[in-house]
Amino acid sequence: MEDKTLNATGRDLSGRYERLYTMLLDAIPSSVLLIDQNMCIVSANRNFLEKGRRTLANTIGYRLEEVFPTVILDQMDITKRIRQVIEKNQPAKGERMTYRAPGVPIRIYYYSILPFAWQGQVEGAVLLMDDVTEQVRLSEEVRQVERHLASIVESASDLVLSTDKKGRILTWNAAAERLSGYSAAEAQEHDFIDFCTNEDRKDIREIFSRIDTRKHAQMKECPLQTTKGTSVPVSWVFSPMKDSYNQTAGVVAVGRDLTEKRKLETELHQSQKYAALGVMAGGIAHEIRNPLAICSSSAQFLIEEDGTPEFRQECAEKIHKGIQRTSAIIENLLKYSHPTTTTRTTLVNLASLIRETLTLVTYHANILKIDMKTSFPREPITVQGVATLLQQVFMNLFLNAINAMPNGGCLGIDVKMDHQEVRVQVTDTGCGISPREIGKIFDPFYTTSIVGQGTGLGLSLSYSIVKQHQGTIEAESVEGRGSVFTVKLPARFGGGEP
Amino acid sequence: MNEKQAPILVVDDEPEMCWILENIIRRTGFTCMTALNAGEAMALTKSNKFGMAFLDAKLPDIDGLDLARKLRKTNAHLPIVIVSGYFYQDDPTIEGVLQEGLINAFVGKPFDHDEIVRIITHNAR
Repeated sequence: MEDKTLNATGRDLSGRYERLYTMLLDAIPSSVLLIDQNMCIVSANRNFLEKGRRTLANTIGYRLEEVFPTVILDQMDITKRIRQVIEKNQPAKGERMTYRAPGVPIRIYYYSILPFAWQGQVEGAVLLMDDVTEQVRLSEEVRQVERHLASIVESASDLVLSTDKKGRILTWNAAAERLSGYSAAEAQEHDFIDFCTNEDRKDIREIFSRIDTRKHAQMKECPLQTTKGTSVPVSWVFSPMKDSYNQTAGVVAVGRDLTEKRKLETELHQSQKYAALGVMAGGIAHEIRNPLAICSSSAQFLIEEDGTPEFRQECAEKIHKGIQRTSAIIENLLKYSHPTTTTRTTLVNLASLIRETLTLVTYHANILKIDMKTSFPREPITVQGVATLLQQVFMNLFLNAINAMPNGGCLGIDVKMDHQEVRVQVTDTGCGISPREIGKIFDPFYTTSIVGQGTGLGLSLSYSIVKQHQGTIEAESVEGRGSVFTVKLPARFGGGEP
Repeated sequence: MNEKQAPILVVDDEPEMCWILENIIRRTGFTCMTALNAGEAMALTKSNKFGMAFLDAKLPDIDGLDLARKLRKTNAHLPIVIVSGYFYQDDPTIEGVLQEGLINAFVGKPFDHDEIVRIITHNAR
């Protein structure tokens, strides 16, 4: 009786477990096959049947080679591996298998074989196959995207690097290697500031410390030190690198080598200087030929040998003075036309710079019968800048003003200290600029001069130079009455040559 | 020396240039009067009849060529010479005024005294 009940319960239980087992097998997203020692299929779950487009009827009881294409079985040696698992009672390491059922696109499976033992006896093996087609495809895509990104960064002509939040170099692209001479491996042992010049380090530290509080990328021109001990001008853009939680994980720095741009700028400045000299040539020639004439004539009087000792003395003095005068003019010209090789800023005494520049244009102004009225403050006026570039700005403004007054007039130069800035006003009583044209005067190549008399670059260069000095330049004009150009530059206090 | 000869006018804003031309002219036996600008020169013409004029091209008030036109109006036969460091011998402006007859000669600065002497002996009346 008891046995019967037990048996009945046992049968019920085994039925229940079988049902549960089938359910579970059918529910899991893997294909599961139970194979006996004769390589016949004992059970197959729903996933397997669906993927293989089979039914239980043409699967159960069939041999493995009748269910799987022989090609796959042979290539992967599955039969042999199943036998080994059964013989050794040890699971086989998982491997990848490509399987193509008729009429179905290629699928990629990750399979493993587990021995099935009952009461110490290995009865068969379970073949477990996971369809990894999608994962494989995705990871391949990810790898492709990664390769693509890496090749963009590597082939970029700009420097592209990343650092951690503290500025330690993480990545360093080929352009950075080329320009700096440091390999990525060498760079990774350093902080970004190690590649900066001493004077830029403070600013760079500040940029890095504030990187995640700033909405926009931060820009800075800062030379990059190379293995050769030289430094290359680079314009940098620093942006925060965000992780998937939108937290700043580091900094991305993209840099552009400015060497070529600087070279072109220097050449442009130089050609502009020569153009200005060309405009002034008439005045300069006149100014030099006068003392030359005095020297020449005084010498001719001396050669004649019939003058009184006083007259001869006078001649000699005139020769001496004439030579000094000529030499001073030439010195001014040389100073002005000398190429600007440096872009380093120094403290510049603006008043004496403007006075020197005025001396140069005086000859030209005199010829055109232009009066010059200047007003300088008593206190010294100092700005931080590149003297030769600033001189070019004022030279351009003076020449423009003079050229606006072909029939004479008045050139006014008024220098004032206005709180923290220096204000230089250049006024002319010339032809003026029409309201239609005034908006274009700072555009490159905009000129009203006839061909050969102006490049149209003077004001656009002046504009960029003043901007480079953190200043502003503005123009006001009344047609027929004259123009006022106002340059404002930040003043520097203390230091500087008096 | 012929005291009756008309004086020669020299106009140059550079006193040294006036000094030089005055010395050369005196050696040729002529008398000389100098002016530093066109205004002074025009004032001198009121009380003097000049036999010749040496003018600088660039004067502080008006151009030498404009002064030449003014002088020409008061004396159609006055020999006028432009002495300048601004123009050069083949300068189109100079060639034009020479052809026009406004000026009789052009001398570039610096110059040989012989040339000035030659011009004086050739033109002075």
